[in-house]
Amino acid sequence: MNNRLFETKNLCRHYIRGTYTVKAVDEVSLSINKGDYTAIVGSSGSGKSTILNLLAGLDTPTSGEIYAEGNKLSDFSRRQFAQYRAKKIGMIFQSFNLIPHYTALRNVEMALYFDDTPKSERTAKAEAMLASVGLSDRLDHRPADMSGGEQQRVAVARALVKEPEVLFADEPTGNLDLENSQQIASLLKDLHDKGITVIMVTHDMSLAENSAQRIIRMHYGKIVNGETA
Amino acid sequence: MNFRDLVSISTGNLWRMKLRTFLTTSGVVIAIGAFVSMLSFGAGMQENIAEEFNKLGLLNTMLVYEKSERDIEREKERKQKQQEESSKTDSTTTVTAPDTVISRPLDNEALNMLSKIPGVRLAYPYESFTVTVLLDDTTYNSSAQALPKIAYETKLFSQFSEGKALESDSSKEAVITEEFFEKLNIDSTESIIGKKIIISAKASSIDSGLIAIFVSDSFNVSERIRQIKYDSLFNRSYIESTIRTEADAALNRFIDGYMNNNIIISDTLTIAGVLKSGQGFRTRTESVLLPVKTAENFYAIGAGKNPLDMMSILQSGGELNLFNEAPKSRSFSKITLNIDQGVMHAKVADSIRALGLRAFSYTEEFQQMQKFFLYFDMGLALVGLIALFTASLGITNTMVMSIVERKREIGVLKSLGADESYIRLLFLAESGMIGTIGAFGGIILGWTISRIASFIAKSFMEREGVDPVEIFTLPLWLIAIAFALGLLVAVIAGYFPASRAAKVDAVEALRNE
Ligand SMILES: Nc1ncnc2c1ncn2[C@@H]1O[C@H](COP(=O)(O)OP(=O)(O)OP(=O)(O)O)[C@@H](O)[C@H]1O
Ligand SMILES: [Mg+2]
Repeated sequence: MNNRLFETKNLCRHYIRGTYTVKAVDEVSLSINKGDYTAIVGSSGSGKSTILNLLAGLDTPTSGEIYAEGNKLSDFSRRQFAQYRAKKIGMIFQSFNLIPHYTALRNVEMALYFDDTPKSERTAKAEAMLASVGLSDRLDHRPADMSGGEQQRVAVARALVKEPEVLFADEPTGNLDLENSQQIASLLKDLHDKGITVIMVTHDMSLAENSAQRIIRMHYGKIVNGETA
Repeated sequence: MNFRDLVSISTGNLWRMKLRTFLTTSGVVIAIGAFVSMLSFGAGMQENIAEEFNKLGLLNTMLVYEKSERDIEREKERKQKQQEESSKTDSTTTVTAPDTVISRPLDNEALNMLSKIPGVRLAYPYESFTVTVLLDDTTYNSSAQALPKIAYETKLFSQFSEGKALESDSSKEAVITEEFFEKLNIDSTESIIGKKIIISAKASSIDSGLIAIFVSDSFNVSERIRQIKYDSLFNRSYIESTIRTEADAALNRFIDGYMNNNIIISDTLTIAGVLKSGQGFRTRTESVLLPVKTAENFYAIGAGKNPLDMMSILQSGGELNLFNEAPKSRSFSKITLNIDQGVMHAKVADSIRALGLRAFSYTEEFQQMQKFFLYFDMGLALVGLIALFTASLGITNTMVMSIVERKREIGVLKSLGADESYIRLLFLAESGMIGTIGAFGGIILGWTISRIASFIAKSFMEREGVDPVEIFTLPLWLIAIAFALGLLVAVIAGYFPASRAAKVDAVEALRNE
C-alpha cells in the first residue's frame, strides 16, 4: 500500500509584478507520507505559507503538479477542490481566522456545513470537539472574549471536527505567548499520535525540532536541505 | 449546506447589521410602496370605468351620427392620398376615387337600414326638444326625449329607482330622471309615481313661416305691385334684380314668422317611473322621457328645438312641399344601437360606415381607454421603477460594503470547503432577503397609502355631493408583480457584489494582518 499523502513535481508559484517576478515557490519536488509530522522552516518570505496553501488547494500553482493520494489536483473541478478542502484538510493559522461575530460553537459548526454532516449531528460533534481541546465551558463565547490560546484551540477544534486526513498549521504559535504556545504544541503532538498527518510552518526552530519527525528548510522558494522524493 | 442553512446564515448576517439592513430595506419599501400605491390607483380607475361600462351596458351600445363636413373632408383627403400612393407604386389594388365619399342623412330611412344590419338588436333615434313641465302649479323648464318602449330593455334604461318603464309607445305616460326629480320639491320618489304632469312645447311650425311670407306687417302686396316698372318688364337685368329682392324679402319673412309665431302644444301625462342616473359619458338622457307616439305630437308640426334642424330638413328632404303639414323626412341627431351579445362591433361599425354614416362604438372607445390606461399605468410604473432603481443602488452599496468587511470570513468559508457558487448564493440570499422584506413592507405601505388616499378622496367626493367611488384597488396580480419585482431587483442588485464575493482570493483574505 502506498503510504504517500502528497507528492509535488517541479511545483512553482510565481507572482509577476510588472517586470519583476517573485518566485514564491520555485521548482519544488517533495513528498510527504501519511501520518508524518513535518515542519517547514525558513526565513520570512521564503515561500512556506505559499507551499502550504498550494497543498491545501487554496492556491493554484503556476506550473508543476501536486498529487494528493495519487490524484492530480490540477484535474480537480472547482467542486472537487471544495470537497477536497471540506473533507480532507484542516487548517489553522497564525491569526486564528475565526469568524468574529460567531460563538466558539458556531465557528466550529461552520466546518460541518460543507462536509455533508447531517444538521442534527453538527452541534453535538462541535461540542465534543471543543471539549476535547478543553473549552467545553466557552461554547457561547465570541473570539473577542477569549485569549489567543483559547482562540487557537477553537481554530484547532474547527480544523479537526470534520476528521481530516491532514492538518495544516501556518505558524500556529506565532501570536501566542510561551505557555499558550506549549499548549498548542502539545495539542498538535497528541493529534499526530492519534494518526493525523501534521504539516506545520514555523519560525520556531525548537518547536520544530521538538515536535516534528522531519524538517524541511526553505530559502527563496526552494527546499535547501537535501530533500529526496 | 441546504437552503435552510443559507437562509439562517444570511438572516443572521442581516440581523447583525440591523441599522444598515433597516436603511437599505427602507429604500425598497418606499420604492415598492410608491409602485403599489400608484398602480393601485391606475388599476382602481380602470376597474371603475370597466364597471361603469358594464353597468350601463355600454359595451353593447353603439351610437350613429351623420357625417360632419369635416369628416367628409378628411375622408376625401385620405382617399386622395391613397390614390396618389397606389398610382405611385403601380399596385393593382383598386382605390375608390375621393369623390365617391358617401354620406347620408340620419333619417327614417337610415334608421330602417341600421336596424337591418346583422347583429343590431335594436335601433332607436334620439330626438330632444325643450319643454315646460307643470307639476302641482309649478312650472319647470326642461328638455324631453322620445324613447321607444323596447329601449327600456337595454341596460342603459333599465335601472329604475322607482316605478317602471312605459306601458306602450303611445301611452300617456312619462319617465323622469333622478336628476330632474331632485329639482322637484318632492321628498320621496315613491309619492311621485302616478302624478299628473302637463308637458308643453313651443313648437315653431313651417305653417307659421309660410303664412308670414304673404301676411306680414312689413309686406303689402298692392304696394309692391304698384312699384313694378312695367316699361322695364322686358329688361332682363331688371327682372333678375326684382326677383332676387323679392325672394330675399320672402325668405326673411319666412324665418321671421317661423321663429316668432310659435304654437304651444300641451299634453297631460302620468309619471310612470324615475330612472336612475347614469354617469357614463355621451349617455346623458334628457330629463323627461316620452313614449315615441306621444312625443310625435310635439314635433310633428315642426322641427325640434333647433331652428337649424328645419334648414337641414329643407336641404336633405329636398322637396319642401309647401302645402303639406310637415316634411316627410326628419333628421335625428343620433341613433342608438343595441348590439347583440358576442357580435363583433368592428364589423357592425364597418357596415354603418358603408352606409355613409359615422359610428361611435363604446367597445372601441373602451379598448381605446384601456390602451390609454395601459400607457397611464406604464407611466406610473416607470416612476415606481425609478425609485426601485435608486433602491437597488442602495442594495448594491450595502452588499459591496459588507463584502469588504467580511473578506476574511469569505476566506475562512472557502478554506472550510465553500465553493464559489456557495459564496455567491450566500450573498444573493442576503440581497434577496432585503428584497423580500422590502417588497413585503412596500406592499403594506402601498396599501396603507392607498387606503388613506382613498379615504381622503371619498370624503372629498362626499363633500362635493358625488357618490363616493373606490378609486384604488389592490388586485392580486399587483401584489404578485410588486413582490416579484422587489425580489428580482434585489437579486439583480446583489448579483454583481455576490460575484465579487465569490471571487475573493482566499489566500489573500486569510493572510496575517
Ligand atoms: N499576492 C502576492 N503578490 C506578490 N507577491 C506575493 C504574493 N503573495 C506572496 N508573495 C510573495 O511570495 C513570497 C513568499 O510568500 P510567503 O507568504 O509564502 O512567505 P512565508 O515564507 O510564509 O513568509 P512569512 O514567514 O513571513 O509568513 C514573498 O516574497 C511574498 O512577498
Ligand atoms: Mg507565512
